[in-house]
Amino acid sequence: MWEMRVLTQTAEHILRIAPAGIPRATVLIVPPLFEEANRTRRTLVLAMRALAAEGFAAVLPDLPGHNESLVPLVEVDLARWQDALAEVISGIDGPTIIASFRGGALIDHKAKAAAWWRLAPVGGASLLRTLMRARVSADREAGVASSLEALQDEAKSGPLLLAGNHLSSAMVAQLGTSEAQGVEPLRSVGLGADGIAGTPLWLRAEPGEDAAMAEAIAADISAWSKTCGVS
Amino acid sequence: MTEATSKASGVDATLRALLADVLGLGEARAAALTEDSGLFGELPEFDSMAVATVLTEMEDRLGILIDDDEIDGEIFETYGNLLAFSLRKVTD
Repeated sequence: MWEMRVLTQTAEHILRIAPAGIPRATVLIVPPLFEEANRTRRTLVLAMRALAAEGFAAVLPDLPGHNESLVPLVEVDLARWQDALAEVISGIDGPTIIASFRGGALIDHKAKAAAWWRLAPVGGASLLRTLMRARVSADREAGVASSLEALQDEAKSGPLLLAGNHLSSAMVAQLGTSEAQGVEPLRSVGLGADGIAGTPLWLRAEPGEDAAMAEAIAADISAWSKTCGVS
Repeated sequence: MTEATSKASGVDATLRALLADVLGLGEARAAALTEDSGLFGELPEFDSMAVATVLTEMEDRLGILIDDDEIDGEIFETYGNLLAFSLRKVTD
């Protein structure tokens, strides 16, 4: 009953899952950043299927430098991701709700939407610290002297390779200070009894999936859409 | 329960939940961890990325700051070592 396709009219692939006919609204999924995107992708796509079952179209664009993108990650920074999402949303007919996850909340404010929904937003500094620590830990395991401080210095003069991610000086600098920006109307939820029941799959060393959590995500977004009078 | 032991059991519970989240251990395996349970080098899921994630989550959930030079291989050798390190940090 669903149409599922990969759109290629923009430079990046966009996974779209939609019900037959005209959708209630479109939900633009902004995934977590870096490795966290891979760890959550399967559950996000399950949430998209659940949204389609509720009458929404759900779209998940590849961020430049991520997933199937042909753009080298080192050429990308947060500002470019913000612009890319604004471009994706300008190509969507009808009302759009942005649903961002974790670090996705750092890049979701430039796009114009009817409503925003965020799950477990995280500051850029925390993401950067984890990536740098992985590098320090791997360096030390290999017997190479390494420290967070030395990496910070190195980042000022050129790109850094952090846990397989080639990050430009601009990306490192922006991550270091980036926080989720105010948008309206916004529902920001965490995990747990007051938010979404589930586990923080984005932390998981090996990718997992959580179908019940995907259903809960879709139900919460759908309820928020109604609250905001979107559909 | 004294204040110190209740704090210690709180840190213990936080740490077990955190390892369950990061390593995907499930509640039963996380609850079964003993002081002597090996972590880094023993659990296949515990790679350098997992070490980094555990450290950042420890900071967030225990409200502590962990300095680079405080970390050596021993901390992640066993669950007991990681717990002792965490308790030292929260009481510092």
